[in-house]
Amino acid sequence: MASPFSRRRTVLAALASLPFGAALANEKAEPDPAKSQYWTPIRQMMFGDRQLHDGKDVIRVYLNTRADDASTVPVSVKAQIDQTESNYIKQIFLIVERNPSPAAGLFQFSPHSGRAQLETRLRFEDFSFVRAVAEMNDGKLYMASRWVKAAGGCSAPGDRFRIPPELVGQMKFKFVDETVEYNKPQLVQLMIRHPNESALASDFDETKTPQFVRSVKVTYAGKPVMSAEVDFSISDNPSFRFFFLPTGEGELRAEVEDTHDRRYLHRMTITEGVPLPGG
Amino acid sequence: MLSRVRSIAILMWAWVSGVAVAAPLDDFAVEPVAPGHYVHFGSLDERTPANVGDQANIGFVVGEQCVAVIDPGGSLAVGKALAASIRRTTDKPVCFVVITHFHPDHFFGAAAFVAPGVQIITHDGYRRALNQRARPYLNALQRDLGDLARGSDIVQPTVTVKASHTIDLGGRILRLEAWPVAHTDNDLTVFDESTGTLWLGDLLFHQHTPVVDGSVLGFIKVLDTLAARPVSRYIPGHGRTTLPWPDGLAQERAYLQLLVRETRAALKARKGIEEAVDSVGQSEASQWSNFESFHRRNVTATYTELEWE
Repeated sequence: MASPFSRRRTVLAALASLPFGAALANEKAEPDPAKSQYWTPIRQMMFGDRQLHDGKDVIRVYLNTRADDASTVPVSVKAQIDQTESNYIKQIFLIVERNPSPAAGLFQFSPHSGRAQLETRLRFEDFSFVRAVAEMNDGKLYMASRWVKAAGGCSAPGDRFRIPPELVGQMKFKFVDETVEYNKPQLVQLMIRHPNESALASDFDETKTPQFVRSVKVTYAGKPVMSAEVDFSISDNPSFRFFFLPTGEGELRAEVEDTHDRRYLHRMTITEGVPLPGG
Repeated sequence: MLSRVRSIAILMWAWVSGVAVAAPLDDFAVEPVAPGHYVHFGSLDERTPANVGDQANIGFVVGEQCVAVIDPGGSLAVGKALAASIRRTTDKPVCFVVITHFHPDHFFGAAAFVAPGVQIITHDGYRRALNQRARPYLNALQRDLGDLARGSDIVQPTVTVKASHTIDLGGRILRLEAWPVAHTDNDLTVFDESTGTLWLGDLLFHQHTPVVDGSVLGFIKVLDTLAARPVSRYIPGHGRTTLPWPDGLAQERAYLQLLVRETRAALKARKGIEEAVDSVGQSEASQWSNFESFHRRNVTATYTELEWE
């Protein structure tokens, strides 16, 4: 059995060949999420015949349904349950069904995550449902959907602020709290300076591989916190906010890899009572 | 009796041509703002079939030999209405169409002016920026205007400006200037030295909420450079003003500075982007039209620009 990542890679590649835009999305009103013609093939390819349960008690998606900047749409996916050893969200699929590459990200969590929650920023190519599917440790799937009116973000100029090459891959951790308290879930934002080039940009040289962040692995004291397989549906300068559970002094460590096989590492030691960087 | 015949005739015409009786742009007007300079002040409303994308301030400058269009407007219909106004004003031909930046309310009317020998002039960054957004812009136009969008299209520039460029209308020289990233990454202004008239495109908004689709810090910097220039008359991209130069830049500048100040404070207070978007700049809500549509995106753009400081 292939690893979930390589399996997903295949899914990504297959999805990328879907004829997006074949039927022009033209709804001003929200369509019926169950009848979306875009969703059926994606659902089939990613989940086959597995049942997708109504996610309202397990997972919710928060965002502005009318997003004004389609290249940067903040989205939060929040678990409605606690992560425990016996019952936890193992992974969350984040899907923007009308994006040229609809599978925006696959985020994996563990009981050490404290809570399964993820905030990031997405690009929207057209008005679209965004869907979050949570897979539990027992394999059950739960889905939440939101309709978003935002368009043009996949191809929006991603280099308004061209990043100097030596700064690409620079990372920061930002914390909401000023200090940590052990054994209490702690919210942290991982920021990555990266153009996260969209393969859609029409000036993009098709003979080259667009450079975007494809994987992120975060650990605390050697234990997995959150790992992600992502693509260019994530806005430039990717940002991920999630929880970790510090049980004692340890190293918070982020390993990032992009499509040009460049690896970046960022780490910091977390100690109770020691001030944490913020804005 | 006569009027009945006439209304029947109008109905027939409407039926034959397939347009509504109360055609949009019926009252399309241009106003002389300086010798040889004519402005059509667009609607502050969002794009609807009723205004057919007539939102931006657009116009033309007449020389002894040639006319230069400055922004052809938000749809083919608007471009055609502007062309009709030009014909009513002068018999000189349109030789130049200057597009101040790549936003749909400014360029979609260009198709009305495409003809052999007519130069379409933009900032050097225009082509690239527009190519990236062409499809979503066309989709959105179709979504908003339906059949009324027909004929509106992307027109590629024939001349692009890297720093500055002059065009001669005959007895009148216009200086075009390409700016660093500000409102967008392809802002171009037009200055007529003979009358001291400056066409700002969307580097200046009045009434209508300013839009940051480039860099908020760059925008402020460009406004400061412009404010130091001697200018007699100026034309904003949206809205009207009677304030003297450079006082007319102040309200927009204050808004942009507030965005910067409050976003920096939100970052310092460890607020996430969504919290910042909900709180920053709300005190300005009553000062501007279309605030609900544009302010939040401005905060998003400001936050992502400043969060790496």
